[in-house]
Amino acid sequence: MKQKKQYLIKDYMSDHGGVIIQESADFHQAVNLMIKKKTNGLVVVDEKNKVTGILSSWDLIRQVVPNYLEGEENLSSFEDADIFSQRINEVKNLPIKKFMTKNVHAVHPEGTLMEASTLLAKHGIRQLPVTDQNGTLVGYLNRTDIKRAIGDILNLN
Amino acid sequence: MFLAVIIIFIFAYGLIISEKIHRTVVALTGAILLILIGVITQEEAVAGVDFNTLGLLIGMMIIVGIAKNSGMFQYVAIWASKMGRGKPIPIFLLLGLITAVFSAFLDNVTTVLLMIPVVFVVANNLKLNPKPFLISAILLSNVGGTATLIGDPPNILIGSAAKINFNEFIVNMGPISLIITFLTLGLLYFWYRKKLVATPAAQAKIMKFKPAEAITDKKLLIKSLLVLGIVLFGFFTHSFTHFEAATIALTGAALLLILTMTDPESHLKEVEWTTIFFFIGLFILVTGLVKVGAIRILAEQLLNLTGGNLTTTTMAILWGSAFFSAVIDNIPFVTTMIPLIKDIGAISGINLTPLWWALVIGADIGGNATIVGASANVVVSGIAKREGHEIKFLEYLKIAVPITFAGLILATGYIWFRYLA
Repeated sequence: MKQKKQYLIKDYMSDHGGVIIQESADFHQAVNLMIKKKTNGLVVVDEKNKVTGILSSWDLIRQVVPNYLEGEENLSSFEDADIFSQRINEVKNLPIKKFMTKNVHAVHPEGTLMEASTLLAKHGIRQLPVTDQNGTLVGYLNRTDIKRAIGDILNLN
Repeated sequence: MFLAVIIIFIFAYGLIISEKIHRTVVALTGAILLILIGVITQEEAVAGVDFNTLGLLIGMMIIVGIAKNSGMFQYVAIWASKMGRGKPIPIFLLLGLITAVFSAFLDNVTTVLLMIPVVFVVANNLKLNPKPFLISAILLSNVGGTATLIGDPPNILIGSAAKINFNEFIVNMGPISLIITFLTLGLLYFWYRKKLVATPAAQAKIMKFKPAEAITDKKLLIKSLLVLGIVLFGFFTHSFTHFEAATIALTGAALLLILTMTDPESHLKEVEWTTIFFFIGLFILVTGLVKVGAIRILAEQLLNLTGGNLTTTTMAILWGSAFFSAVIDNIPFVTTMIPLIKDIGAISGINLTPLWWALVIGADIGGNATIVGASANVVVSGIAKREGHEIKFLEYLKIAVPITFAGLILATGYIWFRYLA
């Protein structure tokens, strides 16, 4: 008889996969890092390696859209094509602190996979940073990890 | 008691002007204080709320909130730019004119929120600074709003209190609104004509616009036009049906909610409830002022000052309202002025008609003079600042004060010839 597993985050998390960026970085540096590391998501940390935010390529794209075009999908087709590059030049030095997602859905290693699944499902996010009691980044848990756990239960692995 | 009410009222006005606390919170707190300290009872407070004004506002907010999703208003604005054949000056004037026309039937803030995105897109395509277009949108939204009963919240307040129906309103205020619209466009043209120059390449971009692409939802467009048509028909036929404005607007709102058959929650959320509660608070505050006799004293003072002369009193109200509206929100101002004018009538027995029209024009047009003079001004300047085209206080004043002044001089003549001579 196999011992009953608890399915905790620490059993499935990994210590790699996420790309870290310092919160002092700007738009330009964030794009550079995303391109180099071939990723659409960055974990933002302060100098003490404490997670302070999440930055996804959505956040970058949102900065490119001027306020007056938000929710104006049809009108945007009339906008001058040059505005795209003009906007990027306007926002390139914007600190990421100003537009990153500050409300980070982080989980603890001792948390359950049910908690992690609930968060991933509700917010439609790909990956959760795992932090210790002090908010310091210790790893990541992503959709693939959950899938692996599901496979374990269904004896597929 | 008298003193307590005056202190609460002046304190509330001061806080509203300072914008330290949200105006709705101030008005509601002041209103509830009047009940708590026993100036008025809850029944008197409720009786002081003008539900015809609230119903009309809510009904129109629901209708416009749904209708604007069809893209119909932006279709017209884009179409106008094309009609201007890509030439900056005709486009500038046409967009201004359209702002005035929209504003006559929509709330001023709604109008600028619909127009500003188009203005930016058109100015960007023409490679022009959007600022003249933004300032034009502010000025003309306030001028156009003067034309009809539903054009600006003060009109709804005054129309409801003075029993002025939609047709009477447009017949009396439509002509002067149109005159000031053309005057404003003319002055804006002289001010900005040298800046409104575009290259042929930029003009060609405008000519490539396909206005139909601005329509988001054809089915919704048809439903919205149908309901807007019914509501306007309802307003026009009020003298036969005797349905109040609120009944007509809420009929339209209910009909459009049925036709669109969606969850009403999102549509009802679009109603500016903070504005509605602001009105409720103000109605109650003013009820307290009336009860302790403060409004009556003010009315007597004003009559003393003008010697009870109809012409002098009318002009004092026109220019005084314009001055106050340039400095403070015209909604609390008009809410206070309504019982004051009624008291003037009760004390002196003079004909109140010219006074009501003077109040409408003064309150609506006066707001144009400063960048904080009306809600539409504040909304546009907020957007302009975010987009890196901040409209400075003095910069705005330099152009807006002469234009507002010129408009008020025409209004003085209009009121004189039409109601006093």
